[in-house]
Amino acid sequence: MTKKVTEGGAVSRRRLLTTASAGAVLAASPFRINLLQAEEATIKIGFPVPLTGPYGAEAQDQVRAGQLAVAQFNDAGGLNGRKAELVVRDDKLNPGEAATRTLELVEKEKVNFVVGSLSAAVQLAINNVTKERGIIFNSISQSDAINEAADFSKYTFHEALNPHMTSGAVGRYAFPKFGKKVAFLTADYAYGHEMVRGFLEVGKEFNIENLGDIRHPLGTTDFSILLPRLQALKPDILCISNFGRDQQIVLKQATDFGVKKSIQIIAPLLSHASRVAAGAQAFDGVVGGCSFYWGIEDKFASTKAFNDAFRKMYDGKLPTDYGALGYGGVRTVLEAVKIAGTVETDKVITALEALKYDYYKGPQYYRKCDHQSVQSVLVIKSKSKDMKNESDVFEVLSTEEPSEKNLRSCEALGHKS
Amino acid sequence: MSEATESIRQSPGAAAGWYEFATKHRAGIAALAILIFPLVMPFTALAVNILIYGLYALGFNLVFGYLGLLSFGHAALLGTGAYLCGIAIVHFAWPWYAAIAAGVFGGLLIALLIGVIAIRTRGIYFAMVTMALSQCVYYLFYQAVDWTGGENGLRGINIRTIDLFGLQIDFLEPIVRYYVIAAFVIAAFFVMSRILASPFGAVIEAVRENEMRARASGYDVILTRLLTFVLSGGFCGLAGALQALHLSIVPIEILHYETSGLVVMIALLGGMGTFFGPMIGAAVFLVLENLVSVWTVHWQLIVGAIFIACVLFFPAGIWGTLIARGRR
Repeated sequence: MTKKVTEGGAVSRRRLLTTASAGAVLAASPFRINLLQAEEATIKIGFPVPLTGPYGAEAQDQVRAGQLAVAQFNDAGGLNGRKAELVVRDDKLNPGEAATRTLELVEKEKVNFVVGSLSAAVQLAINNVTKERGIIFNSISQSDAINEAADFSKYTFHEALNPHMTSGAVGRYAFPKFGKKVAFLTADYAYGHEMVRGFLEVGKEFNIENLGDIRHPLGTTDFSILLPRLQALKPDILCISNFGRDQQIVLKQATDFGVKKSIQIIAPLLSHASRVAAGAQAFDGVVGGCSFYWGIEDKFASTKAFNDAFRKMYDGKLPTDYGALGYGGVRTVLEAVKIAGTVETDKVITALEALKYDYYKGPQYYRKCDHQSVQSVLVIKSKSKDMKNESDVFEVLSTEEPSEKNLRSCEALGHKS
Repeated sequence: MSEATESIRQSPGAAAGWYEFATKHRAGIAALAILIFPLVMPFTALAVNILIYGLYALGFNLVFGYLGLLSFGHAALLGTGAYLCGIAIVHFAWPWYAAIAAGVFGGLLIALLIGVIAIRTRGIYFAMVTMALSQCVYYLFYQAVDWTGGENGLRGINIRTIDLFGLQIDFLEPIVRYYVIAAFVIAAFFVMSRILASPFGAVIEAVRENEMRARASGYDVILTRLLTFVLSGGFCGLAGALQALHLSIVPIEILHYETSGLVVMIALLGGMGTFFGPMIGAAVFLVLENLVSVWTVHWQLIVGAIFIACVLFFPAGIWGTLIARGRR
């Protein structure tokens, strides 16, 4: 057997020992973190959200609003003096990382509850970890799958809207008003698919004509080839189902291409943060849905109270749609703890199921079979003039009142009635 | 360079004695280190992740460090192992050990399929072909929504208890889960050590060092490469299966090319072509990422700076540089 012997590691000859000691300091750092034990008696709420990545701005707003709910709970005396604490973790918008972080929250931090997530896949990953361990998880991100019997457990709650509700509300508003010929431009992943499915379902009631669905990969930077094809279909309505940066770019380009002159653009979800990032012109006249807009404070005392508390805590800033979900998700759990008088899981579940609440956007409650929050959906239009302040970006066109008939039925989701 | 070649070198003196001892018992030492490892980690789930990524990098290192081929498609081997293990449990309700076997088989099979096509190429071409093929695997699993959950990932890989010779072990208990997974990783260490110490292991390195000469000596270079790649697939498939059991989900991101890039990073950081390097690389990488991201949202900036420092001060990887210095 011939083996070739080589001279190894010659490059490192001149390295100093100091570099090794720097490495030793790094290696030692986990010990220090291990010693940082939190107080025993606090009620801990794990909060995994994508602080870094494309949804970072929304996630940081979720944290701010979640902290507000915790602060209010503590200021009101907590649970007989027992204070709450938000344990925030970055899930990096990755389901594997989210599952690991949730394991950390449950096994090491010993959290009592988990609230959070901002992606369909991520919330399903968190849900799978928590339901196996009997920990209540209140999801604050959109997904249709989480309501279905396969993923649901009695520990699973869903404070956010789901794509079926959102697209349903926008469709019911837009189809009778703007026309029957509809073309779709869709981000090719679960969110886009679920939205289109929702639009087509509600479209049946109005006999809409589906002219075609063009799909684009997530993270597309140029829509100039797709837009003329959509214009050539001559639709009354162009329905664009994408989110974040994709939505900003496509609306900018659609404005430049003059699409808006003859076609009404609708989107299932208009994000406050995206609208602010892309500017007034790109979003001008686009109609879409959302779960919360600060401007409904004239209508609901709870919204006014939430806005004022948020302004006070964060130097006059106003909460965004996803921020409000962070508040709602944490506050419902803490209120249920108060009602139950304990953090015991089963009693808190019973309290949550019985909860009729109005904390930030009008009346809401959790449906018994799938723990979906039955709530209003706002149909909004982006505006470009008469803005009172930098957060005054939308006009509320109509409100779909909370009703179980706008949700998929318990039987359709596979739940036994 | 690798311990396998170094071990036959005549190095007199007491200073080198420990090194020979360590090389001879490398798998045993690795096993000991793994057994005490969770005590020094911030949390157990992270320790398990390090084991799994370390195993993944160990398998990758067989091809990258010992055979000298840079693969950019190893995510396919890890991901197929994870998905097959998950599908076996979710759709067929197989027992856990059979599901792990399915994962290992998945890794071997996909490595064979990719290997047959890619193995004749070298250098950058090998990297490109493996990457392209792993993207095909990504879309295959992405489109098979009924089996894999597609975008939403595969959920429901729930193992509550492990039945071991009539003994009911609570798999949800973090420390138990760690040691169950550690048992598989330690076994993999011993197998890897055996492969490297065997005549076949010497052929692998002979092919890396001088392909012409290996061929002239009568070895089948192509077959050696293919076999090494397939073996690597077995280790990565096992890592994938263990991850599926650990996280109870398989996200589609596991097949993304970033997962392929990650393992290159881990292997380089730890020291390519060294036995312990991949595990150390995985530990340093994941611990850094986890600690700094708790501390600040700008963790990428800090972790990036530390990596630059590592490349500057540990050119042969952390473990590779330490070995070279220690032996002097």
